Amino acid sequence: MIARRLAAILFLPMMLAFGSGVYLYLGTLKSKVVKTRADIPTVTKPRLVLPGTMFVVQDGRLFRLKDGSFTEIGAPGDWSQPTVTPDHTHLIAVLRGGYSSDLYLLDLDGHILKRLTKNDSRIVDYNHWAFYPRVSPDGSTLFYSYDGPKHVDAAPGDDLSIWSMPLNGSQSQARRRTDPYWYTGGDVTPIPLAGTGLLFVQHSIDSSTAVHSQIRLQSRPGDLVGKPLTSLADNCSEPALSPDGTQLAMICTGGKQIAMLEVAPFNGTSLGPARVLLEGGLYASPTWSPDGQALVYFAPSGAAGHFELWWLAVPVAPTPSPSAAAPPAHSPSAGGAASSILVPSLPATPVPVQVTQGVDLTATSPPAWY
Amino acid sequence: MEGRAPARRRRASRLHPVRLVILTLFCLVLSGTAGAAAYFLPVVVAGVGQTGQTVVVPPSNSPGLKVTPTPATSPGAPFTVLLLGSDDDGKNKSPLTQSMILVRVDPASKHVTMESIPRDLWVPLWTGENAKIDAAYAYGGAAGAIATVERNFHVHVDEYAWVGLKGLIKLIDLLGGVDVFVTNPVLDDAYPDDINGGFLYGYKTVAVLPGAQHLDGSRALQYVRSRHNDINGDFGRSARQQQVLLAMKIKASTLNAADLPDIVNALAGNFKTSMGLDRVRSLLSVASGFDLANVKQIVLYAPFYTNYGPQISGQSVIYPHWTQILAVTKENFP
Repeated sequence: MIARRLAAILFLPMMLAFGSGVYLYLGTLKSKVVKTRADIPTVTKPRLVLPGTMFVVQDGRLFRLKDGSFTEIGAPGDWSQPTVTPDHTHLIAVLRGGYSSDLYLLDLDGHILKRLTKNDSRIVDYNHWAFYPRVSPDGSTLFYSYDGPKHVDAAPGDDLSIWSMPLNGSQSQARRRTDPYWYTGGDVTPIPLAGTGLLFVQHSIDSSTAVHSQIRLQSRPGDLVGKPLTSLADNCSEPALSPDGTQLAMICTGGKQIAMLEVAPFNGTSLGPARVLLEGGLYASPTWSPDGQALVYFAPSGAAGHFELWWLAVPVAPTPSPSAAAPPAHSPSAGGAASSILVPSLPATPVPVQVTQGVDLTATSPPAWY
Repeated sequence: MEGRAPARRRRASRLHPVRLVILTLFCLVLSGTAGAAAYFLPVVVAGVGQTGQTVVVPPSNSPGLKVTPTPATSPGAPFTVLLLGSDDDGKNKSPLTQSMILVRVDPASKHVTMESIPRDLWVPLWTGENAKIDAAYAYGGAAGAIATVERNFHVHVDEYAWVGLKGLIKLIDLLGGVDVFVTNPVLDDAYPDDINGGFLYGYKTVAVLPGAQHLDGSRALQYVRSRHNDINGDFGRSARQQQVLLAMKIKASTLNAADLPDIVNALAGNFKTSMGLDRVRSLLSVASGFDLANVKQIVLYAPFYTNYGPQISGQSVIYPHWTQILAVTKENFP
């Protein structure tokens, strides 16, 4: 009798423990997409120590990557798209509110020095968006995308156009620089050139109702549309100009859901033959290294699909052969726009190196690197 | 004393090592089964309450309810699912379907065909009355939606699956978000602000920027629900819905049985389907061998398949070009 009671006393906790163990064990069998959550960059260690200083964003938080470690900077908020001023003394970043976003001037530790725009309103319809800040090479002018003017007597919604304002001035001095194609989302990613030139990405629609992205060059402020540097069919966007201004990195999709990372020589007025460095992935936000020898970009890694930072050495451009330069490899657009020319990848294909591990960086916020 | 000795021996024999081992194993199996049952309990409950929903499809032009015989399909044979998405925010007692997608799944070849049906399409409902097709679900539930689609598109719908907005958000979050390439900025100044309570008819501004990116549930919903600043209107939204659906499928291809309780919790009250476990298994099999090249996407863009026309009773409607629509539907949904 005593033995039976003893057995019961021993068996009950054993059964409880085993049953709980089975329950917990089943929980460990969940797939990685369900279990894997991104780490904050500051608790991770980059696999590669990059030269200089870089600013990236994850989940609305600004991070500085320097000497192989991350530091969080800035006040709490929904920050994105940091850019460094040409003299490397300040940051300009986007702060999203509920219904709007504004541009802020920050020091390199993320402290707010000045609010550059005021786009929020109690009335929903009067809110505005400002994105993609970029300062002109001489440091005097701030370029950005802004959803103004609003459509009047049309369906609600607006398109971004490129605006510019004095960096030391006010928003009332801002001027519209491009005329967007309505109901496409508009113009994004301004890159002011030395002088009066401006690179930007225009979204437009063709006769088959397909929406295209196209990199365009505005040579003077009054030219609201600019001239195309890439063809409609190539669907190129996210341009990044090398530090010496002679090469343009870009993301091209050809209208598909996968992308190519391409680099093309740029002479200030036109693009040369484009080289495909990477293809077949979801690449985003290419950014040149300070010495112009390499690119970093974002791409997903692993089953969870979080965007990590990758580094890629850019091989020296080969001299294009006449046969390669003559016919455009990509089909020209219906509108007769200029077409980028593809040159076969170099024999020594560059191998990307994954810099971060376990984070989920905001792919629509290009790294700011100096 | 001697008379008690056999009884003691009998009791002692119950604790014989062999019996002890058997008893131990029995207890372990019992407790392990109980642990597994507790783990999968939400799945069982949901399986009873949300899957295998019986649908009695009414015949066309008749308000009466008669059972439409479902052609017998052998396991592994292609089948067609009508995906329905609703803003189950309480605006309407019976929600409209903001998203209707015909999906044909061929488990053998792992081919998937998706055809989005514009919500504003002006069609005769199964009752014979004309209305926007998104009202079919509101008036007749899944059966009404299926009957209306079958009547107008000349297809047989084997199954349906309905998901509410909140369920979609939770499901995408459970999957850890989805990766998509956003082709152009999606800005909307009149996006419904109805998810988190408050004024059901309120609106807000949203902005989803272009480029490859990782979307969480809320942002993904903004991407697939926004329509006011899209030059393609509802058609553009349909294309975005298919895009996110494919991105979800890519993520879902790595799911396994241990994820089921989480999925069920995420979709609690926001999901209904007529599919039984056999069909779900077929879908999972297609998802596991997923290849984008095996997916065909069809959006009934204007002006070829449809046309914008005069408003009816203040409603924006789209008029079908049935010759073109039926041709493409017949070709892809034989």
